[in-house]
Amino acid sequence: MNLKDCHNFYDFRKLAKKKLPAPIFHYIDGAADDEITYRRNTSAFNEVDLVPNVLKGVEHVDLSTTIFGKKLNLPFYCAPTALQRLFHYDGERAVGKAAKKYNTMFGVSALSTVSVEEISSIIDTPKMFQFYFHKDRGLNDAVLERVKAAKFDVMALTVDTITGGNRERDLRTGFTSPPKLTLSSLFSFAVKPMWGINYLTKGKFELPHLQDYVGEGTSTAVSIGNYFSTMLDQSMNWSDAEKLCSKWGGHFALKGIMSVEDAKRAVDIGCTGIMVSNHGGRQLDGSRAPFDQLAEIVDAVGDKIDVICEGGIQRGTHILKALSMGAKACSGGRLYLYALAAAGQDGVERALNQYRSEIERGMKLMGCTKISDLNRNNLRFRKK
Amino acid sequence: MKLSDCHNFEDFRKLAKKKLPSPIFHYIDGGSDDEITLNRNTSSFNNYDLIPSVLNDVSNVDMSTTVLGEKIDFPLFPAATAMHRLYHHKGERASARATEKMGTIFGTSTMGTVSIEEIAKVNKGPKLFQLYIHKDRGLTDNLIERCKKAGFSSMCLTVDTVVAGNRERDRRTGFTTPPKLTLGSLLSFILHPGWTINNLTHEKFKLANIIHITQKGTSIDKSVIDYINEQFDPAMNWKDAEYCVKKWNGPFALKGVMSVEDAKKAVDIGCTAIMISNHGGRQLDGSRAPFDQLAEIVDAVGDKIEVILDGGIRRGTHVLKALCLGAKACSFGKGYLFALAAGGQKGVEKILENMKTEINRDMKLMGCKNISELNSSKIVFRKS
Repeated sequence: MNLKDCHNFYDFRKLAKKKLPAPIFHYIDGAADDEITYRRNTSAFNEVDLVPNVLKGVEHVDLSTTIFGKKLNLPFYCAPTALQRLFHYDGERAVGKAAKKYNTMFGVSALSTVSVEEISSIIDTPKMFQFYFHKDRGLNDAVLERVKAAKFDVMALTVDTITGGNRERDLRTGFTSPPKLTLSSLFSFAVKPMWGINYLTKGKFELPHLQDYVGEGTSTAVSIGNYFSTMLDQSMNWSDAEKLCSKWGGHFALKGIMSVEDAKRAVDIGCTGIMVSNHGGRQLDGSRAPFDQLAEIVDAVGDKIDVICEGGIQRGTHILKALSMGAKACSGGRLYLYALAAAGQDGVERALNQYRSEIERGMKLMGCTKISDLNRNNLRFRKK
Repeated sequence: MKLSDCHNFEDFRKLAKKKLPSPIFHYIDGGSDDEITLNRNTSSFNNYDLIPSVLNDVSNVDMSTTVLGEKIDFPLFPAATAMHRLYHHKGERASARATEKMGTIFGTSTMGTVSIEEIAKVNKGPKLFQLYIHKDRGLTDNLIERCKKAGFSSMCLTVDTVVAGNRERDRRTGFTTPPKLTLGSLLSFILHPGWTINNLTHEKFKLANIIHITQKGTSIDKSVIDYINEQFDPAMNWKDAEYCVKKWNGPFALKGVMSVEDAKKAVDIGCTAIMISNHGGRQLDGSRAPFDQLAEIVDAVGDKIEVILDGGIRRGTHVLKALCLGAKACSFGKGYLFALAAGGQKGVEKILENMKTEINRDMKLMGCKNISELNSSKIVFRKS
């Protein structure tokens, strides 16, 4: 199997599984507890059906949308995700360049393995930085300043990782950052020699935004669950978020909002967007799927801030459904991470192009020529 | 396994699978994307239950109905489908003869492999021609005039195919028309020598209705996806449809209408009927099943236009359920195509006979003597 055999999400996943040592694959692929929320994030889309209109003259379709004041050519973007150089040695460089090519937003994680300065020097398209609120306030201030200096367009504070989710696959495989060889994981690294060679020869593994302040994650191997639980500030509250928002002074989003009440408070503290997200099912298992919760949130705040639907997206039609429900755009992690692991920048470009053509085809079959043509009249919930 | 062992849809499917090279079998059997709509088309019937009346003297049951200006013996007909000669070397001749014998409408496609004129010779019963609007508009006029001359009784315009659906099975099997031997598919052609010998020893495969206009799909190996995307006109709109209605000046249907809004427009432009259809789940995956959408459409236009349900029909009871909710008749594609592959004309006769027998038995068990007794009081939605 190689890249040209990848026609959809599942194909990329399969190829990623072939390329990655098991602990790393399962770090991407896994979620919290029994992974019920993880599965529901996708299956939620299957309970609502699209109703097309016909004979609309659809030879030209415009997929562009504007979020956080930036016009994107696609109504979805690469959500910020951590540790990308573990998945492919080019890491964020590969994803950033692919996002640039398709002119969509590139999200960079606080736990990224390439610095914001380097990313800024590579891509001039819209960029979002994802912020973790650490106990170390010096770290928080320094990161904010660096991101500002690097001229990122959007700051997103993650609010759903106050403590680490119970990612049982990581417990079993012994996944840590940086990767640690244990007796039990030795075999899975040994059978993927290319990954090991690239990891050791293509530049040192670093967490450039954090390593000057904390050893955990770079010089000390920790699991991501552990990192969240020990390094992030569990006393974080609305006033911290508000201060951060005004300190940033630009487009600011909260990532991981699920209740209407919180969505309204996000508006009150001056956010310009929220990501309706449960962190890809990796935090609180049994929590509601973003798509299930979307309508409620859009009804409450959709006219005041940009509502992004994040999680479970594997098809262009999932994006059409979320947009029809009222989301401004969608984002996802796995939707490009498997492709990154499968083939670096080429892989991510191929994945983005596939979703692009799925959305374009879906729009034509829906009789829609622009994103704003999608609305709830196009949707029907199945009777229960 | 032989034709005499085929008692239901699944049996015909099984026998067709045995007889056909796998790229061809999967072309019939597959849907788009994740095939969620394909599966829902049938499973939607299972959310509704029939309520029989008893002691009604059902010794004589009249299954006949009038649709598209023709009285037919029972309320089901073979939908117009493409390229029958791929499935059996006699192609549309076989299915046309079988359908005439069974007393229902025969649908043939723009993409047929036996010409309009020849079909008219072998089938003297009611005939429906299914039109695709090509970029070459001269072809539309040409097809309409030929159908008129050949004595076709009705015409339908397919409106859900402005762009090809993402039929991933075809990508994997490398399905093209005419079939192309590739290293990957060679084995499946060798393993089905009966089909291969018949294909090679009978007349050359051609798209008989459009061969004079385009050589695509006839001398050049083309996937159906490429053909649709290159030849069909995505600019097609309501004016074009109205033009066809006027030009035909007889019973006319739009095939692939799913929204109430479009159903009303179909009435406005003078259509006799609409076929509620998602192209057998082969176009927009995640779109609503015809049976799920039926009541809404019947409520809006059922008294002004004939509503035909197309898609997911596997059983006589499915037809009964659709009629109870207000459909005038049903049509099906996959069932009779598997039967055609399984046994040519005899196969199609047998599946139509089976369906007719099922409808007859089920009407007796429902206590209904004629079609008009099937109404919404005889069906109830099962809450899950």
